[in-house]
Amino acid sequence: MCSLTHLFSCFSPSSLTGKEALTHWPSLGAPGGSGPAKGHMKQCELLQLSRKQKRLCRREPGLAETLRDAIRLGILECQFQFRSERWNCSLEGRPSLLKRGFKETAFLYAVSSAALTHSLARACSAGRMERCTCDDSPGLENRKAWQWGVCGDNLKYSTKFLKKFLGQKRIGKDLRAKVDIHNTNVGIKAVKNGLKTTCKCHGVSGSCAVRTCWKQLSPFHEIGRLLKLRYDDAVKVFSTSNDAVGHSELAGPHRHGHSAKQPFLPRPTDLVYVEDSPSFCRPSKYSLGTAGRTCSREGNCDSMCCGRGYNTQ
Amino acid sequence: MAGAIIENMSTRKLCIVGGILLVLQVIAFLVGGLIAPSPTTAVPYMSVKCIDVRKNHHKTKWLMPWGPNHCKKLKDFDEAVSRQIEANDIVFAVHIPLPSKEMSPWFQFMLFIMQLDIAFKMDNDLKENAEITLDVSLAYRDDMFDDWEEIAHAIEIRKLKCTFGSPKTVESEGRHYDCDFLPFMEIGSVAHKYYLINIRLPVNDRKGINVGIGEIKDIRLVGIHQNGGFTKVWFAMKTFLTPSILIIMVWYWRRITLMTRAPVLLEKVIFALGISMTFINIPVEWFSIGFDWTWMLLFGDIRQGIFYAMLLSFWIIFCGEHMMDQNERNRLSGYWKQVGPIAVGSFCLFVFDMCERGVQLKNPFYSIWTTEVGTELAMAFIIVAGICLCLYFLFLCFMVFQVFRNISGKQSSLPAMSKARRLHYEGLIFRFKFLMLITLACAAMTVIFFIVSQVTEGHWKWGDMTIQVNSAFFTGIYGMWNLYVFALMFLYAPSHKNYGEDQSNGDLGVNSGEELQLTTTITHVDGPTEVYKLARKEAQE
Repeated sequence: MCSLTHLFSCFSPSSLTGKEALTHWPSLGAPGGSGPAKGHMKQCELLQLSRKQKRLCRREPGLAETLRDAIRLGILECQFQFRSERWNCSLEGRPSLLKRGFKETAFLYAVSSAALTHSLARACSAGRMERCTCDDSPGLENRKAWQWGVCGDNLKYSTKFLKKFLGQKRIGKDLRAKVDIHNTNVGIKAVKNGLKTTCKCHGVSGSCAVRTCWKQLSPFHEIGRLLKLRYDDAVKVFSTSNDAVGHSELAGPHRHGHSAKQPFLPRPTDLVYVEDSPSFCRPSKYSLGTAGRTCSREGNCDSMCCGRGYNTQ
Repeated sequence: MAGAIIENMSTRKLCIVGGILLVLQVIAFLVGGLIAPSPTTAVPYMSVKCIDVRKNHHKTKWLMPWGPNHCKKLKDFDEAVSRQIEANDIVFAVHIPLPSKEMSPWFQFMLFIMQLDIAFKMDNDLKENAEITLDVSLAYRDDMFDDWEEIAHAIEIRKLKCTFGSPKTVESEGRHYDCDFLPFMEIGSVAHKYYLINIRLPVNDRKGINVGIGEIKDIRLVGIHQNGGFTKVWFAMKTFLTPSILIIMVWYWRRITLMTRAPVLLEKVIFALGISMTFINIPVEWFSIGFDWTWMLLFGDIRQGIFYAMLLSFWIIFCGEHMMDQNERNRLSGYWKQVGPIAVGSFCLFVFDMCERGVQLKNPFYSIWTTEVGTELAMAFIIVAGICLCLYFLFLCFMVFQVFRNISGKQSSLPAMSKARRLHYEGLIFRFKFLMLITLACAAMTVIFFIVSQVTEGHWKWGDMTIQVNSAFFTGIYGMWNLYVFALMFLYAPSHKNYGEDQSNGDLGVNSGEELQLTTTITHVDGPTEVYKLARKEAQE
């Protein structure tokens, strides 16, 4: 299972303070030219990727930069959404957090895959990636498809690419792997659901006899907000194995009104987790604790300070 | 107009003609639905923020968003602030198309709309009725290593229409406004392979230029062009339809000139309809593949406008000529009340189109909707045209009603008439009802398909097959009106049984029975004057 953990860990190996993730890379090369091309090779080496991911990264000159963008976008959004919670999405303790199956882990997976999808689609429209749409066949066929007009849209491409990049084809057997994949897909779906269709009329004298519509990404803040809502209603799951078919499914707690025989299946849009979260009040291997943080008096001080009292300024 | 082919045709033959036309109609739909891709493509472009490093921007230098000589990029404006880069030094660059693609003349036109990502910030709020000033330039090149050649440069002002969904508090800082998209650019030909757009947002606090427009995070463009595949199918269709209509037109006119009398108004109008259809059909667009003719878009609009005006006039005159009352018409001036609104309406739309697409020939960034006066003017033109259209339809409906009233009046007195006159009226009634039927069918088809293409998504999946609904709509409707004009000229051409034969009822016995199933014509009547004589006679009775 070489999924998003790799991408996280490239910015949160234990030695990293997390500052690096938020600084800019002015020296980053763009596709084209021999110099920058070598640059992106180096970028790919710097990122902690699996061998397959590295190959994909080397093949696509703009990918390394896009991955960095995505990670930055995901981190910033996560910290924005959790700015007034006990766990503030800090980079400290993230590796240990990612090894567990908390609600927070679920959110991290979802927000990261959402950020990746979003960034990939954006990178496509910024011309940073070379193989975006019309990618089905190489060379002349590609050009023909573009001229004939049968190329797909960026988001379809980025979703497909992401699934390939994360190697989702091979679904892990254990519960954690399944939970992670589920949450990753929740993130991708959140971007897809956030698409807005916009149309422009351009017929005779601008009439609507001819109309062209396109799908437009919503700002990432909206997606972050949606995922935060999903985090609040996350579903705890356990595994049920269906011996007859030979594979197991995620199953949630039984709800009222459901018969006991039918386990409740989490919806594709639900975030799922397997372990109850720690309180994040005191420093632990998951976070620095809430001591020293500022809270707003109207809202969250009691909760954030875990009943230890607070100073007002 | 006496004795058209349609009256003399047997039901069987009419059915055969109808069947052939129906098959052609289905083919027209299938060509669009199965062969052609969707008519247009929208490509989103995210502008890249470039830094114009030169001290003074005297000479125009083109900044490339990517590729071998790409510019120095900025990630966001926070970086610009920290690196002390002024707003005037930032250039938003968009290269068309995206990497490893090229534009093609088959795309026919390009139009761009602009979307601004404006973030809310307490200290830099978006003012009411804010206006954004854009310094835009467009360049082209045909080789990756050529220099850029400027096509147009303009300073444009656009009004921002934005709403903010959440309360304007510190909490919601960073959230984006919901802004309407702005018209950006329209070009009527795609003659070059690569295009480059550079946008600057000059800030001048003293003059209040670009002040109070909020915090602009990104500029996105959406480029819309016709798909090459659709263009090819479309051209093929036009190339096929032109000779068909042309041939039937020549045949039709020859029939009319072979007659001893001068052509009547209705015949002339049908011929004019054929001419305007041919005018649309002639595939002059083939030239756009070789030449950089930006006026093609405007020309296409004018051609369509002429055809619509002609079609509407035809309906009115057709109704009028089948009125079966005692007024002698047969002159265009007799229809000034009904044709007048058509002329005024299409003239209004023509002026509007010239103001929009005509000016765009000079300045592709121009849009009439961006200024207050322009919007009012445009709305005035459109409203006047709309009123004219309503007026026209009122007239038309009234005329159709009159015709039906007269028909029912005539039908009650038909048995009492002499045979020749009865046949004449029966012919008139049949011709009118038949045209009424197919016109309504065509109009209904157009409306239904228009609604379907607006409501549904661009394509339907049918197992492995994908049906492009929008393309099918365009080719189908276009084919349908062509067939309509074709059928009109064929069926409403004067019957050859009409001229050169003086024996009226002698035919009855000679010809095979099936030829006479519908009605025969009053053969000795060879012109309108006779009709009116008859009408007057009847009036005396």
